[in-house]
Amino acid sequence: MKKEKARRERPGALVPEMLRTLTQRPATEPYPAVRIDVPTGFRGRIEVNDERCIGCSKCALVCPTECIEMVADEREVTVGAKTVKRKRKPIVHVLSCIRCGLCEEACPTDPKAIYLTEEFAGSGTDKEVVVK
Amino acid sequence: MPEVEVTIGPQHPALKEPVSFKIIVDGEKIVRLDLDISYNHRGIEKAAEARDFSKAIYLIERICGICSHAHATNFAKGMEALMGIEAPKRAQWIRVLVAELERIHSHLLWLGVLAHEIGYNTMFMYSWRDREIVQDFLEAISGNRVNYGMNRVGGVRRDVSEALRERIREGLKVLEERALAYAELIAEEQTLLVRTRGVGRLTTNQVVELGSVGPVARGSGVSFDIRRDDPYLAYGEVPFDVITSTHGDVFGRAEVRALELVQSVRMARHVVDSLPGGDLAVKAPRIAPKGEYVSRYEAPRGELMHYIRVNGTDKVERLAVRTPTLANWPSVVAALRGRVLADVPVVVAAIDPCLSCTSRTTVVDVDAGTTQTLLWDDLVEYGRRYYREREGVG
Amino acid sequence: MSELLAIVYLLVFPGFLFLIGFSFFAEWYDRKLVARLQNRMGPPFLQPFADFVKLLSKEDIVTEGVSARFQAAVPVVAFAAVATAFLYLPVAGAASWFGFPGDLILVLYLLTLPTILMFLMGWTSGNLFAAVGSLRAVSQLFVYEVPFFLAALAPALILETWTVADVVAAQSAGRWSLILAPIGFVVALVALQAKLERSPFDIPDAETEIVAGPLTELTGRKLALWHLTKDMELVTGAALVVALYLGGPTVPGVAVAGILGGAIAFAIFFVKVLVVVLVLSVFKAAVGRLRIDQLVRWGWTILTPLALLQIAVVAVLKGVRWI
Repeated sequence: MKKEKARRERPGALVPEMLRTLTQRPATEPYPAVRIDVPTGFRGRIEVNDERCIGCSKCALVCPTECIEMVADEREVTVGAKTVKRKRKPIVHVLSCIRCGLCEEACPTDPKAIYLTEEFAGSGTDKEVVVK
Repeated sequence: MPEVEVTIGPQHPALKEPVSFKIIVDGEKIVRLDLDISYNHRGIEKAAEARDFSKAIYLIERICGICSHAHATNFAKGMEALMGIEAPKRAQWIRVLVAELERIHSHLLWLGVLAHEIGYNTMFMYSWRDREIVQDFLEAISGNRVNYGMNRVGGVRRDVSEALRERIREGLKVLEERALAYAELIAEEQTLLVRTRGVGRLTTNQVVELGSVGPVARGSGVSFDIRRDDPYLAYGEVPFDVITSTHGDVFGRAEVRALELVQSVRMARHVVDSLPGGDLAVKAPRIAPKGEYVSRYEAPRGELMHYIRVNGTDKVERLAVRTPTLANWPSVVAALRGRVLADVPVVVAAIDPCLSCTSRTTVVDVDAGTTQTLLWDDLVEYGRRYYREREGVG
Repeated sequence: MSELLAIVYLLVFPGFLFLIGFSFFAEWYDRKLVARLQNRMGPPFLQPFADFVKLLSKEDIVTEGVSARFQAAVPVVAFAAVATAFLYLPVAGAASWFGFPGDLILVLYLLTLPTILMFLMGWTSGNLFAAVGSLRAVSQLFVYEVPFFLAALAPALILETWTVADVVAAQSAGRWSLILAPIGFVVALVALQAKLERSPFDIPDAETEIVAGPLTELTGRKLALWHLTKDMELVTGAALVVALYLGGPTVPGVAVAGILGGAIAFAIFFVKVLVVVLVLSVFKAAVGRLRIDQLVRWGWTILTPLALLQIAVVAVLKGVRWI
């Protein structure tokens, strides 16, 4: 380490900066009075789009916490030009979801049937544990 | 005055995580210090044996919130070594970028914690405000402020776009200024100096004997940094200085971290400027051939070691994690001998304790001065028993 | 003056109710200022009042084996002591209606009581952290009380009176004691910060070391009362420094009578007290906490000698009839 010029040891070394800070806006963002913008690619709450899912179960297989449960659900789903009859669909136990996004990566449909949104405000009074 | 036993922890305002100090004091002077860790034991090593590699990464990432990338990357690169594959260059560099950003955020957090422990809340507020810059970068890169999920076995999962690189470059300018300001501040602010200088002094020999790692060791003059001495990822190509200090006390450790902060900012800038092109990952096989490997990594707190043993299946046979905080705890006990009660938070904070990282295999009875290492057989048995009792699983 | 007016003075303005209100205001002002210095937002205006009300509604817990009546009585006595001390300080005029010759000594004595009571509180709490904290509080008391008294003594010596009203009157006719005894002013402010147990002297209440010091076992109403007492101490201490060194609610040369005069005097008092609190707040945010042994050493090697120096200077200047 280079030897710097002799430093003045004194109490209150931050005082000049503190007084300058008085003139600045506070760094606090007064959420929820203010909207917080999240970057694209932010890993928020998970969502399943029923109309796109073909029931391949890949998401359930890759999930590290095994929070995706495939339940029986029959439905005709249009994929591109074809129509597929799916047998199951995923139910995500949101409280176990760690939002890693592996399910989104594994999902073969385009646009994805299971994906992470940019929703982060999760608190509410309605107990919605299962995402349909 | 008769001796009084002061128990700090497991719940105490000074502690962010549970640990128990039983301090025998005579007035304010510390006579003896007993340490009790492992309140945060979660059986992660055992749990990792039940998951295949791609899932185990996410488990291991959550050993610690502050150094999550360290754990995940260390495991991933260990697995890659065992499988005989190599992540592409771009992936290595992105891993280094996130690693250094993590170091920056961890050291800034630590500066704030040190300031808070000595009641210097203004510096605490300022350093955490500046830390938000790094957190925003990490969020933009990975989608999350902690537990980045950037790693997969074979590379990384996300790319860093050109626009993002530009943004990071801009923010790093501000960070470098602030980092230099903090390095100056800790050497100038007298109330901080009187609380850290001469406090918890450990000589070079003591530090080596006690097995300390990271800034604690470097703060007492031991020049050892895995990034330089056993390079991994892209560290062989990113220039940096290993920071040591001759002070050996809490101030020395603070000095090391503050200057490492500056180094990390410069390294991050180098990576952002010279990020090579290429793929983000190679395909990793599902099964790893038989073998064992010790993967080392310079986490913000010191040397992190993962011992991985695989046996031809898609799951780990044995994972042992030796975190830097575990290695540093004995130095706390030694450093507090002969000090006063008021020094306890400062000396403890100086090793940057991450108690979630702490609860691993070695049992150290500091009071009796003995060290007892559980053999891995005993460990497996212990783990199974623990797991059985807690979860009712065989 | 009629009894009714005296009762209004005592209970409403500038007595009891005003003191409580002003204390809440001073706490808000202090917290907001420190927050802005730290680049934060700070609490909304009614926060101290809200904290007080919230604490009042909390359960009152007393540790087993501890005298509940004693624990309940101590905060009340401390509150009474500080409130009484404030009574003798001039707020809306050159003198308090309750002033009497020698009341400076009474004020100083009453302001010492809260710390001693805090020691009692912690010592009898049956809690280890509280006991350690109360020891620290008393050690700190020995360190700052002597300089504080000496710093209060300096203007009294200069102006040859032990009565607060006379000190203020003499300053409004001449110069502020600040100019005649600047060292004493600095010592008074530093010692006041220690008396109020604010950073860097918040050793008895070092959260990261001993939870909450002597106040660890206090809950509910008792804690609410203590917090209020602490705020009142801030206001009273600042008002005392203003009265002794900054000329109280007067400005040399300005002497308006009647209600208008009272209003002007109050405004002057208000501004001066806020300036003193501003200095104390910046001081609080500017530095970290000292260790008790460092404080003791520093107090006896620097603070008290400075105070003594001030007294010596005053004595010499008085001897040669310069002031």
